[in-house]
Amino acid sequence: MDIKSAILSKYNAKVFKSRKDHILEIEADQTQSIAANTRAIPGIMTNRGCCYAGCKGVVVGPLKDTCVITHGPIGCGFYTWGTRRNKAKSADGRNFIQYCFSTDMQEPDIVFGGDKKLKAAIDEAVEIFKPKHVMICSTCPVGLIGDDIHAVAAAAEKEHGITCLAFSCEGYKGVSQSGGHHIANNGLMKKIIGADDQSPIGQYSVNLLGEYNIGGDGWETERILKKIGYHVVSVFTGDGSVEDISKSHRADLNLVQCHRSINYVAEMMLQAYGTNWLKVNFVGLKATIESLRNLAEFFGASELKDRTEEVISEEMALIEEDIARYRQRLTGRKAALFVGGSRSHHYQELLSDLGVETVLAGYEFAHRDDYEGREIINQIKEDADSKNIESLVIEKDKRYRAILTPERYEELKKSIGLEQYSGLMRQMKDGAWVVDDLNHFETEEFVKLLKPDIFFSGIKDKFIIQKSGLLSRQLHSYDYSGPYSGFKGAVIFARDLVMGLEAPAWKLVTPPWKKKKELLDA
Amino acid sequence: MSLEWVTSSKNLRSFENKIKKYIMTKLSNICANPCKMCQPLGAITAFYGLKKCMSLLHGSQGCSTYIRRHLATHYNEPVDVASSSLSEEGAVFGGEKNLFKGLDNLIKLYSPDIVAVSTTCLAETIGEDVGAMIKRYLERAPKPAAEVISLSTPGYGGTQFEGWFRALRAVVEQVPMKKVSLDSINVVTGPISPADARELKKTLSALKLNYILLPDISYNLDGPFSLEYNRLPQEGTSIEQISQMAGARVTLELSPFCPDNLSPGLFLRDNYGVDLIRLNLPIGLRDTDIFLKTLKDLGAVIGDDIIQERGRYLDAMLDSHKYSAQGRAALFGEPDLVYSLSRLCVENGLATIVAATGSIAKEFKERVENELQQNQSPLAGPFSVLDGSDFTDIEREAVKGEVNLLVGNGDGRRLAQKRGWPLVRCAFPIHDHVGGQRIKNLFYEGSISLLDHMVNSLCSNLESSFRKDLKNQYFRSNFGQDKVLELDLEDLENNINGMAPASKSIQRPIREYVPKKLAHPCFSLEASHSLARLHLPVAPDCNIGCLYCLRRYDCANESRPGVTSAVLNPEEALERFLIVKKKFPNLSVVGVAGPGEAMASPEKTLETFRLIRKSDSDILFCLSSNGLALAPYLRDLKDLGLSHLTLTVNAVDPKIGQKIYGHVDYYSKRYRGLEAASIILANQMTALKMAVDLGLIVKINTVLIEGLNEEHSEQTAKTCAALGASIGNIMQHIPVKGTLLGEKRKLSRAELQKTSEKCALYLPQIRHCRQCRADAAGLLSDDRSIDFTKPEEGLMDIAAKVENLAAGGGRQVKIAAVSKSGVLVDQHFGQAERFYIYLSDGNEVRLLETRNVASAGGCSRCGKPDTIGGGEARPKGFIDKLVKAVSDCEAVVAVRVGESPQSKLAALGIASFATYESMERAVLAAAGKILTGKSQQTDSSNLAVG
Repeated sequence: MDIKSAILSKYNAKVFKSRKDHILEIEADQTQSIAANTRAIPGIMTNRGCCYAGCKGVVVGPLKDTCVITHGPIGCGFYTWGTRRNKAKSADGRNFIQYCFSTDMQEPDIVFGGDKKLKAAIDEAVEIFKPKHVMICSTCPVGLIGDDIHAVAAAAEKEHGITCLAFSCEGYKGVSQSGGHHIANNGLMKKIIGADDQSPIGQYSVNLLGEYNIGGDGWETERILKKIGYHVVSVFTGDGSVEDISKSHRADLNLVQCHRSINYVAEMMLQAYGTNWLKVNFVGLKATIESLRNLAEFFGASELKDRTEEVISEEMALIEEDIARYRQRLTGRKAALFVGGSRSHHYQELLSDLGVETVLAGYEFAHRDDYEGREIINQIKEDADSKNIESLVIEKDKRYRAILTPERYEELKKSIGLEQYSGLMRQMKDGAWVVDDLNHFETEEFVKLLKPDIFFSGIKDKFIIQKSGLLSRQLHSYDYSGPYSGFKGAVIFARDLVMGLEAPAWKLVTPPWKKKKELLDA
Repeated sequence: MSLEWVTSSKNLRSFENKIKKYIMTKLSNICANPCKMCQPLGAITAFYGLKKCMSLLHGSQGCSTYIRRHLATHYNEPVDVASSSLSEEGAVFGGEKNLFKGLDNLIKLYSPDIVAVSTTCLAETIGEDVGAMIKRYLERAPKPAAEVISLSTPGYGGTQFEGWFRALRAVVEQVPMKKVSLDSINVVTGPISPADARELKKTLSALKLNYILLPDISYNLDGPFSLEYNRLPQEGTSIEQISQMAGARVTLELSPFCPDNLSPGLFLRDNYGVDLIRLNLPIGLRDTDIFLKTLKDLGAVIGDDIIQERGRYLDAMLDSHKYSAQGRAALFGEPDLVYSLSRLCVENGLATIVAATGSIAKEFKERVENELQQNQSPLAGPFSVLDGSDFTDIEREAVKGEVNLLVGNGDGRRLAQKRGWPLVRCAFPIHDHVGGQRIKNLFYEGSISLLDHMVNSLCSNLESSFRKDLKNQYFRSNFGQDKVLELDLEDLENNINGMAPASKSIQRPIREYVPKKLAHPCFSLEASHSLARLHLPVAPDCNIGCLYCLRRYDCANESRPGVTSAVLNPEEALERFLIVKKKFPNLSVVGVAGPGEAMASPEKTLETFRLIRKSDSDILFCLSSNGLALAPYLRDLKDLGLSHLTLTVNAVDPKIGQKIYGHVDYYSKRYRGLEAASIILANQMTALKMAVDLGLIVKINTVLIEGLNEEHSEQTAKTCAALGASIGNIMQHIPVKGTLLGEKRKLSRAELQKTSEKCALYLPQIRHCRQCRADAAGLLSDDRSIDFTKPEEGLMDIAAKVENLAAGGGRQVKIAAVSKSGVLVDQHFGQAERFYIYLSDGNEVRLLETRNVASAGGCSRCGKPDTIGGGEARPKGFIDKLVKAVSDCEAVVAVRVGESPQSKLAALGIASFATYESMERAVLAAAGKILTGKSQQTDSSNLAVG
């Protein structure tokens, strides 16, 4: 029995039918297709989160100058309190990243409506914490009891002279976090992007999209970009702010790091403002270098290209020795990756820099385009769940500007893959496995069958893996380490892997009285 | 510029109000930084204490995911919670289909004995009746291969604490019971750690009791590492055990605050007649004692081991009592634990200042308050007990109560970081440390561990801050090294908004590195030990009338500003400078400090500086001024090389100022009252701002006067700091008879110190000021001005000597002189280490002997223990010893003789003379007074002759 059948055989007929299209083995010469972004199966321990998690937890939460109020009972707000390790620092001391605000709805609020409490909560927050921006994220009950959070937000804007933005990101919407990303993208597009036409913008200006600054990743990336001479206008949304995002429409180019969570903004900005976007990956050395070169190519200035090469060689010289040392100890190891919607792709590149082969990769909440490439987007059938998430109709803004000639645009499409993303599968080797929405049961089975040396995932499956005698590294929170991006991050990542694989405890698992006699004698 | 001052002071006031408001506001609608979680989380944790039980949450899958991630992070164990994964469709049309599918899949993949279905906000809001659904599910064929328990746990209906008990209640209500009488006892707990559950089991076994523990999370949430991982929780309370609970002798419910409607014990009592005993968690001596006593009554055998444990805890209590008593704790978490923690703190003399829970528990406030009122030392002061609170409430009360320790869950880390208080993590959730599952709180051993953690946190804070605190207290003046002044206006604003942690506030550099040659003994304690200064008395006039000042020329027994031997003209000043410089190569600073106001005679002061600058290009200049007429000359002074300025600012509120300044002479007109105080204040602030802008280092002297500006000095420091002053100096008001403020009480050093500390929050303070004479010379600690006064001064009049001889008729008097240097009368009587015994006939002086008395040690000014040097306090009865040592003399000469020794000396017929003189001259003068009968035994007036 092959691996796939071995796993699927444990399921009943219905589950079998549903899961079989989410699991495939790479056949390099074939065009393959995978099922993704469909409803999770009840009861089989999916690792997915909810719409609220995608909106508040991922996209809106890291905005440091914004007081994000969770409208709902206490749990949801509490569970998103500082768990993503989005780092942020602020020059003026105004930093809400350490805070958790909730309306802490009680039974009477559910029965009689919670909008009064929400209004009072905003009043209090404004009075005490003096935020310039307030965002409201709703949880399951809010949509069901029909609190009009958008009306409350509009009234608060008028009364307090702040920006107030409401997101109807009730947990039951969509099939995973992904719906929440889209809702958050829409909100930022409608209200924040394009709000500031005044602040000065530097030369070679870019926005960094889909960088949440987990463990300081964004800081390392920004450091490199600034060193070369780019002006990073805004970051969506790690260490980001409404203040910066308001002027993002005037940047020359959008760099897309996490395709899944932020591609909506990239597309909408292209339509409204003519801002081109470029898929980049600052995780991995080759990937970082390629991204930097593509970026320089976009602007085309020779000073930029020269400076890019200069910085690359400077940075590489600093880390080469360390990387070589670690690579030596890592080469030949096998890894499995199961993360959200982009990292399982990004980290394959870094692993390959270190000589580690990826035998399994999967996404928690990605869509087919994240696996197969954007060109299949028009083949994706809309289902009931995706229809429930609003898709904005974008018109050209009067500030629309195209900075490329049509010829140059076509040229760049070919040379640097402008506005394209080819997905995770094309990069994977023959015989590797791709699994969408991997669940607890399948994780255990794949571990037994593929025997990887390292399993990269999150806290929920960390201990299953660890208890199976396998190194687990969390790629959501980096196990309190990081940054892993750029040049310096690669060294930290490599060090963490070696440290984990060579932890003395692994060798001590079997007590001497259980070891084979000859081993004891030896 | 006075306008600027007004603006900034107004700013300060409004900041203060904001802080007050922030601290005092009780938030009611917004929960900022919660101290609680939701019901389903509590239920799921409790179900982890059942054998082969899997949980399924009916609702959106996010709830399962979030709860799994939070439990896994704390317990460091796999945590699996299935979900019915309701989507929008389910929310609209009901979730029964999803729930059944979920149950089917879960049972097929995991084969659990029990499936526990809890609800979420979503299911409850759309009105799902899970009880009925599960009934329908169980009636389906084929019959599911697992027991299914269902319960309703909306997130808005309580916290994890209620969720936990709701789960246990559902277990005893829904698992079919066997009514066979057994000899066992049921033990039901609230949320405790797996390690504590294990301890509980060990203890119950050691007591030789048959028991059923509900729930038993000891293994499932803290399992050993082995390569055989099993996805189904293998240990815990089994269905079989649960079904026997109805036949037990008694139920022990270790939870004082379990709500009655959720109490498993009450259910078993009411339905099966099982007796119920409710106890506190066995934490601390008293509650562990009660727990064991109860079990003994139930037939337990208390072994020696446990008695020894008790003894060890008692020993630990005594070992730590000195440190515990310094603790002021804020306790937070679930109600059972907080109550127990408060009782543990109380019995250890560690003050509970805040006891807070995020839940709303009946009687929580009442019982904790009772405990604290009855058993906590009243010395601890007020405390507050909160329920339904968040960390904003806890912070507010903790700041108010000046706590120094946080005890509770790991969510307190943000508060700990912001405020610099240590945090003892002893409850769920702990996400920033490892070992949440291994926390031990129960029984004597657990109490020892808790106590040690608390005390050690206090100790390490003390250890790491002790030197710093001391340094700040005693070496504060080293502003050359103190590169930063914490807390400025920006900080205040940040603190109001709660944005910036106080300890990591934006730090504003007050000075760049100060080169060594700029070191000034009056501005830096370190410099004061090695560098000499010279005050030149060139400015006799004054332009204001301070109500505490009486300026007299030369009174050698007084060393304070405004006192000098003679006024010099600039040329004489230069001469004295040259002489002193020869004698003191370490002379670093020349200053003008009066004896009047340096800038009341600006031409003399400027000329003095000019002359000296010509002969010495390196020497530092400093100036002490009241600031009234300073501003116009600042630029000239700066050009001459003035680097240090001391400004006496006694108040920044004219209403207070008018009680200190009698009059002000300004542009040929005399102002009085409020007008005078306003003028001087505006001019002082102008001069301060200007001096700072010119790059001068400005010290603010404030004379602290009893009942006048004591409370106000903090504001003075704050305002001056805001304008750029570098350093402050709170000075003792030395009441001088004959002045309007002469009857004021001299404030104690302790009072001075307290004010100084308060001011240091805004303006670093020096604390080594000696309030020098206007003609002071040498080191601060060793004033040698007497050596440099004009030679003709102080010479004994020949005629007087003749008169003495005649009056005495050759009689010789024995006189004791107190001296440290062996040359001058330079010590107080009470500080005497040795007496110089002289014989004099009023004409000649002969040294007879020296008499050593044991060293007094301590501070040379107040006799208090010298904390820096580690000296010991003056022993009791020391004064009597001193008096005895001179009992054969007729007089004592000392710098000053205190009232008590004076009267003791007088009782023996010994006269005391206060003086500051060379010993021989002083003895001669004293002898003269005695021989001529001019002495009235005690003479504290000017003894010096000439």
